[in-house]
Amino acid sequence: MMKPHRRKRLGIILFIAAGLSVAIGLTLFALSQNINMFYSPTAVANGEVEAGTMFRIGGMVKDGSVDQRQDSLAVRFVTTDYVHDVPIEYEGILPDLFREGQGIVAEGRLDSAGVFQASRVLAKHDENYMSPEVRAAMEQAGASPENHPFRESPED
Amino acid sequence: MAGRWQWFHRLGSPKWFYEKTTRWLPWLWGAMALFLTVGLVWALLFLPEDYQQGHTSRILVVHVAVAGASLSFFPLMAVAGAVTLVWRMKLADMVARNAAPLGAWFSFLTLATGSIWGSVSWGTWWEWTDSRLVSMLFQFFLLLGVISLRAAIENTETAARACALLSIVGCINVVVIKYSVDWWNTLHQPSSPISMEVGSPNGPEFWVATVVMIVAVYLFLTVSLILATRNEILQRESKARWVRELALEAR
Repeated sequence: MMKPHRRKRLGIILFIAAGLSVAIGLTLFALSQNINMFYSPTAVANGEVEAGTMFRIGGMVKDGSVDQRQDSLAVRFVTTDYVHDVPIEYEGILPDLFREGQGIVAEGRLDSAGVFQASRVLAKHDENYMSPEVRAAMEQAGASPENHPFRESPED
Repeated sequence: MAGRWQWFHRLGSPKWFYEKTTRWLPWLWGAMALFLTVGLVWALLFLPEDYQQGHTSRILVVHVAVAGASLSFFPLMAVAGAVTLVWRMKLADMVARNAAPLGAWFSFLTLATGSIWGSVSWGTWWEWTDSRLVSMLFQFFLLLGVISLRAAIENTETAARACALLSIVGCINVVVIKYSVDWWNTLHQPSSPISMEVGSPNGPEFWVATVVMIVAVYLFLTVSLILATRNEILQRESKARWVRELALEAR
């Protein structure tokens, strides 16, 4: 078997590693709200964000809500987590993946009318990859696979 | 009693390692070339395009393989470090020392391929608020830290012990990287579950090429680490008789 002095050394190493893991684990747990990248529309509706502060909101682009101006880059759409909706106004270039039914993360502020004035809009895709043919076949079979880049309740 | 630990102590002999790897290397090189060719050709020519991301998703094959392999460095260095601390085995430290720069390169490649991919599909190269991205950047810096720590301490044995401890502690960050996408809201997607059924989301037509590439990348990692360690063995053991005989033979 292992010599006693070696076993002692191994014990000390394991003790240090375990202690540090617990310390770092607790720190991350305490910080967990700040580590989240964005708030959901429900969190915004519940007033978790202070008025006038800069923050990020993450949700789906509601079907039929995109109103793109023809003469400028201004766009208005609604983001939703299927519980609450938040209208967003943005002027700028949208990522290629931006479309209705797509996940987005927008950065900006809520104005007094409750409209989110975005300075940036990013696309968030989910973890499911498939060819257009497979997607079409699934839709035809009625098993329309929802694109869901957000977990059931992002605030948990 | 002695027999049970014999294999372990033989592992600690640089000469044994050098001779064994001389025989293994051609096979490893061959396997790596094969897997790398198959993986790349498959990813670039035969992988179906994604319904949302189109051809952009091909980078997944490289990104996932490199990212996965980059997570293996801290556990590897930690095990080697523990062996160094407990048994004072020189070979373990030589492996650990050469793993650090290699790991830094792997982390860099992960960040670079991820950035390129993100710039196209997310619309951003980098997000400081995404915990997956930041924890991976932290791993890159931590590996640079291990390299610097080694360089900063003059005494080889003290340096080995300090790096071993840092490597063991650094393993915690690997867990954070892995679960960051589950614990917090991120722009980065969670890991894709694989499906065994052809023609379903994440079916074999998508993931087999990635698995081939993961094997290729791990073979590349192994070959690189062996070559670097062999170099180090020759340097550190240059006074040993077998190394001098080897040098005479080569001449």
